[in-house]
Amino acid sequence: MRMLGRTAANLFWLSRYVERAENMARLLEVGYRMSLTSRREGGASEHLISMMQAAEVDEGFDAKHELADVDTVAHYMMFDPDNASSVYSCLQAARTNARSVRTAITTDMWESMNGAWLEFSQIKPRDVRGAKLLGLLQWVKQRSHEFRGALLGTILRDDGFSFLQAGNFVERADNTARILDMKYYVLLPRATQVGGDLDIQQWTLILRAASAHRAYRHVYHDRYKAHNIADFLILRPEMPRSLVYCANFVQQNVDALAKIYGRKEQCHEAAESLLSLVKDTNMEAIFTDGLHEFLNEFIARNNRVTDALSESYNFY
Amino acid sequence: MRIDIEHKLTLSLQPGTVHAVLHLLLTPPSGPSQTVESWSVEIAGIGNAGRFSDAYGNAVHLVNQSRPEGDILVAARGVISTRDTNGVLGKPGGEPVPSLYRRVTPLTKAPVTLYGKFRNAKESRLDVLHALMGRIGETLGQPETEDAPTQMQATGEQAQSQSSGEAPELPPAADYAHLFIGAARALDIPARFVCGYVAEGDGPAAGLHAWAEAFDDRLGWIGFDASHQLCPTERYVRLAVGLDAESALPLRTVPVGDITQKAVVKAV
Amino acid sequence: MADKTPFDEMYNPDGSVREPYRALAGWLAEQPDKALALMQTDAEAIFRRLGITFAVYGSDEGTEKVIPFDVIPRIIAANEWRRLSKGIEQRVKALNAFLYDIYHRQEILKAGRVPEKLILNNAAFCPQMMGLNPAKGVYAHIIGVDIVRVGPDDFYVLEDNLRTPSGVSYMLEDREAMMLLAPDLFHRSKVAPVENYPENLRRTLESVAPDTVRGSPNIAVLTPGIHNSAYFEHSFLADQMGAQLCEGPDLFVDGGKVYMRTTTGPEQVDVIYRRIEDDYLDPLTFRPDSMLGVPGLFDAYRAGNVTLVNAPGTGIADDKAVYTYVPDIIEFYLGEKALLQNVPTYNCTDEDQRAWVLENIADLVVKEVHGSGGYGMMVGPTATKAQHAEFRKKIEARPDNYIVQPTLDLSTCPTHISGDVAPRHVDLRPYVLIGDEVRITPGGLTRVALKKGSLVVNSSQGGGTKDTWVLED
Repeated sequence: MRMLGRTAANLFWLSRYVERAENMARLLEVGYRMSLTSRREGGASEHLISMMQAAEVDEGFDAKHELADVDTVAHYMMFDPDNASSVYSCLQAARTNARSVRTAITTDMWESMNGAWLEFSQIKPRDVRGAKLLGLLQWVKQRSHEFRGALLGTILRDDGFSFLQAGNFVERADNTARILDMKYYVLLPRATQVGGDLDIQQWTLILRAASAHRAYRHVYHDRYKAHNIADFLILRPEMPRSLVYCANFVQQNVDALAKIYGRKEQCHEAAESLLSLVKDTNMEAIFTDGLHEFLNEFIARNNRVTDALSESYNFY
Repeated sequence: MRIDIEHKLTLSLQPGTVHAVLHLLLTPPSGPSQTVESWSVEIAGIGNAGRFSDAYGNAVHLVNQSRPEGDILVAARGVISTRDTNGVLGKPGGEPVPSLYRRVTPLTKAPVTLYGKFRNAKESRLDVLHALMGRIGETLGQPETEDAPTQMQATGEQAQSQSSGEAPELPPAADYAHLFIGAARALDIPARFVCGYVAEGDGPAAGLHAWAEAFDDRLGWIGFDASHQLCPTERYVRLAVGLDAESALPLRTVPVGDITQKAVVKAV
Repeated sequence: MADKTPFDEMYNPDGSVREPYRALAGWLAEQPDKALALMQTDAEAIFRRLGITFAVYGSDEGTEKVIPFDVIPRIIAANEWRRLSKGIEQRVKALNAFLYDIYHRQEILKAGRVPEKLILNNAAFCPQMMGLNPAKGVYAHIIGVDIVRVGPDDFYVLEDNLRTPSGVSYMLEDREAMMLLAPDLFHRSKVAPVENYPENLRRTLESVAPDTVRGSPNIAVLTPGIHNSAYFEHSFLADQMGAQLCEGPDLFVDGGKVYMRTTTGPEQVDVIYRRIEDDYLDPLTFRPDSMLGVPGLFDAYRAGNVTLVNAPGTGIADDKAVYTYVPDIIEFYLGEKALLQNVPTYNCTDEDQRAWVLENIADLVVKEVHGSGGYGMMVGPTATKAQHAEFRKKIEARPDNYIVQPTLDLSTCPTHISGDVAPRHVDLRPYVLIGDEVRITPGGLTRVALKKGSLVVNSSQGGGTKDTWVLED
C-alpha cells in the first residue's frame, strides 16, 4: 500500500517533536544547573537566557515575562502551551501526529508515545520544583529514548522508517547548530589558547547542552579547548549529535527513499548540499570563513531539506 | 424554430486557489419540445471531465482545475431546433418518478394565501395550474427587471452573478417559478424548476430564463412561466431541471467564487 | 411495568442458573475475593494503554475517556442466536429493498403502505440519490441493529442503525481483553469467534467495488479526523483491514474519479468506507461549508467510479418515524411477517394518542425523531417531575418531532460493580455486513447501564460494554 503524503509528513514531524522535547529538556537542565553554580550577580538568569536563545524561545518569553528566574523559565520551557516548543507542546504535537498515523507506526511506538503524553499531561506544574524538576527532565529524556528504542526495535525498514529518521536527525542537526551559534564567540581562535574560568564555564555549558561533556574526554583525552569543542560538535563522525553525523544520517535516509521509490527528487539535492558543507573540511577552513556564517548556512540548508522533502513527497 | 445559443460564464476565484471543482449543467437535453442539433461545452480540462446524469436526469460535466490562473472561462454553444407544444412535454422516460417533485425545499415555500383557495377546487388539475399562474401574476405583477436597460438590448444579454457565501442571486424569473412550484406542491401536484434560454420575441427578454413545470397525470409535464403568464412556446429552450434553482444551477463550484454569465440567444 | 422484576439473563426467577450461563457461574464461584476487582483494573489499563478511547463532546478539549468494560460476559445460547440472526437478516434485506425502491420507482409510496410525505419531506431522504444504482444494489452495507430483550423469547428491535453505526471496535477489543484477562473461562465454553469481522468487512467492501475495477480494489476508510469521538475505531478498522485511513484532504477528485495523495503521486480509490455523515461528505453536493469532505466525491459516485459505504441517504430507513413502518416494509418486499418485533410506538401527531401520551408520560420513553446517542431523550420512570413537564411542553409544541414508546424492562445481566456483582440493564447491537452476501458477526456489542436502575446504555450517558458470547452447539 502506498503511503499518503500526509502520513509521511506526520511521521517526519512525530520524530522531530520527540527529538525536540528531549532537546528542550536538555537545554533547560543545563540552564538550571549553571544557574545554581553561578557566583556572579545576574549570572543565573544569563545562563537561562542563553539556553532560551539556543531553543529559539527567548522572544516569546520576553513578550510574556520580565524576569528570567528559574521558576518562570522552567515553567515556560516545560509547561507553557503558548510556547510552541515547550515540552508540553512538543509532546502534545508528537502524540497528535502519532494518533493521525496510528496505522503506520507499531503498537510499541504508539504505546510509548501515548503513555508519555498521558503521564505528562497529568503532572501539575506547581508541583515541579527544585529536585523534582531535574527528575522530570530526566524522565522526558528517558521517554524520548524509549520511543526511539521502540522505533528502532519494531518498525519495518520501509519508507515510513526513513521519514521518521530524517525528521529525527534534521531536528537534532538544527539543535546542535543553534547551541554552537549561541556561544560561537567563545569558540573562536584567540591569541591565548588557555581559557579562563569564565570560558571553562561557557564550554561546559555547550558540551552539556549537547550531552557531550563526558564523551569529549573519551575522544580527546585532553582538557577543554575551544578548537576541540567546535571540532567535536561539528566534524566528528563518531559523535551522534555532531553536524556531520546528523547530515550523514539525513542524507542516508533520504537516499533510502530514492531507492524505495526508484527515483531522486529535489530533496536528495538538498540533503547532498547539507552534507557537502561538513564533509571533507576542517576547523581551520571553517574558522577562516567565519564560524557564525558557517553555522547560519548550515541551518539554512538544513531547513531547505525539510522544505524539499515536503515538496518531493507531497507533505501537506 | 432554430435557435442559436452562446452561453458564457466567468468564474473568479480567490487568488491562490489550489484546486477548483466545477459541476456544470450546461448540456440541454433533446425531448418532445426540442432537438439538439449541435452543442459543445468549452472549458480547460473538459476532455478529462467526469460525465454522468444527475438525480434529475440532467447531463453533468465534472471538471477540475489545478492552480487556476486568473478567471476560469466556460462557453457553451450550439443550435437547438424547437417545436411549439403549448408547453406540454408528456411523460418522457429516463426521468425520476414525478412524485419526487412533491418534496418541499427551503427555496420553494409558498404562502397559503396563494394556493389556499385551490385546495378543494373542483376544476381539473390543468385548470388549477393555469389559475395558479394567474394568481401569482396578480399578486406579484410583471418582473421589475423588464425595464432594466440590459434587458432591452436587442442581443438579449443578461447578467447573473453568484457571490461567495450567500444564497445565489437568481434571475428574477426564478422567484416566480419558486412560488409557482411551492404552491403546486402544497396542492400535492409535482412541480419542478427549469433553467433555460429564451429567444427574442413577445414575453421575456432573450437570454437566460427560468420557469416551472408541473405534472398532470393525463398530459404529463407542462411548462408554466409565471413571470410572463404563459406556457413555454417554441422560443423556450430547456437546459436543466431540479427541485429548485439551487439544484438546477448551470455552474456550481468548490471553492465558491464569483460567477458572471451572459447568454446570447438568437432565432436563426 | 416498572414494578415487575426484569428478565435476568443469568438467573431464573427461582435463583437457578440459566443453561448458557452454567460455565460462567462455576467460574465466578471459584474466583477468590477481589479477583474481579483486579481484572477490572487490569482491563482499564489495557484499554487506556492501547488508546481505546472516545472523545466526549462538550467536555474539555482533548478529554478522552475509556468506555468502562465489564469483566462478566453476556452470553447468548446457540438456538437464541439462530432466531435472532434470522430476524436480523430478514430486516436488513427488507431495508435495502426499501432503499432501492424509494430511490427508484417508489412503489411502496404509490401503494400507500408508507405515507409519501413521511419520506419525501424527510430531512434524511436524499433526492440526489434518485435513480442511482449502487453496486450489487446494496445501499446499507454496514448495519448495527439495536435489540433489547424483555423475556426468554421476547426480543425487540429498538433501532436500525444504517448511517455509520459505531462500536464494532469495542466488540473486538472486548473479546481481546476478555481472552487476556480470563483465558481459563474460554476453555470451559465453546464461544463463536468474532475476530473474523475485519476480514469479512474487507470482503464485503471488495464485493461492492465498481464493476470497472480489475483486480483487488483499493479501499480507503474516510474519517473526519483525530478529534472525532470514534477516531480510534476508524484507525483500528483501517489497520485491521489493511486499508488506507484517509481524511478529506487526503482525497481529491479528478476526471470524475477519486484519488488519494501519496508520497509518489495520485492513486485511484475504488471503495470508500466513509465514517463522515452525509451532510459533510462533499461540499459541492451537500453542505457547502463542510471542511471534512471531498469536493466532487458524490459526483464521482454518481458517475460509477467509486462506491460509498454506506450509500448517502440510507438514514431514511432508520429514521425514527419510519421505524414504525418496518414490519410493513418487510411484508411489502419479502411477503413475510417480521420475525423480530418492533417496540410499539405512539404517534404524537394523532390527537387521541397525544392526549394519552401526555397523561402517561411518567411511564413512557420519549425520543427526538432526529436525536441519537441518548441525547434529546427522556425515560419517564427515572426522570424528574420537571423533566416530565419539560417534555410535555416539547411534545405539544412539536408533536412530529418526537416518538413515544412504552418503557421496556430491558433484561439485566450480572455486572461487576465496585467489588460486588449486581444486575444491570443491557442491550445488544449485532453488526451486519451486506455485500455479495449477508454476514452477521455472532454476538455483537453489549452495552450495559452501570447506574443502578438506569435504562440508558449509551456510553455518553454512563454506559459500559461487555464481551458478548454466542455459544456454539
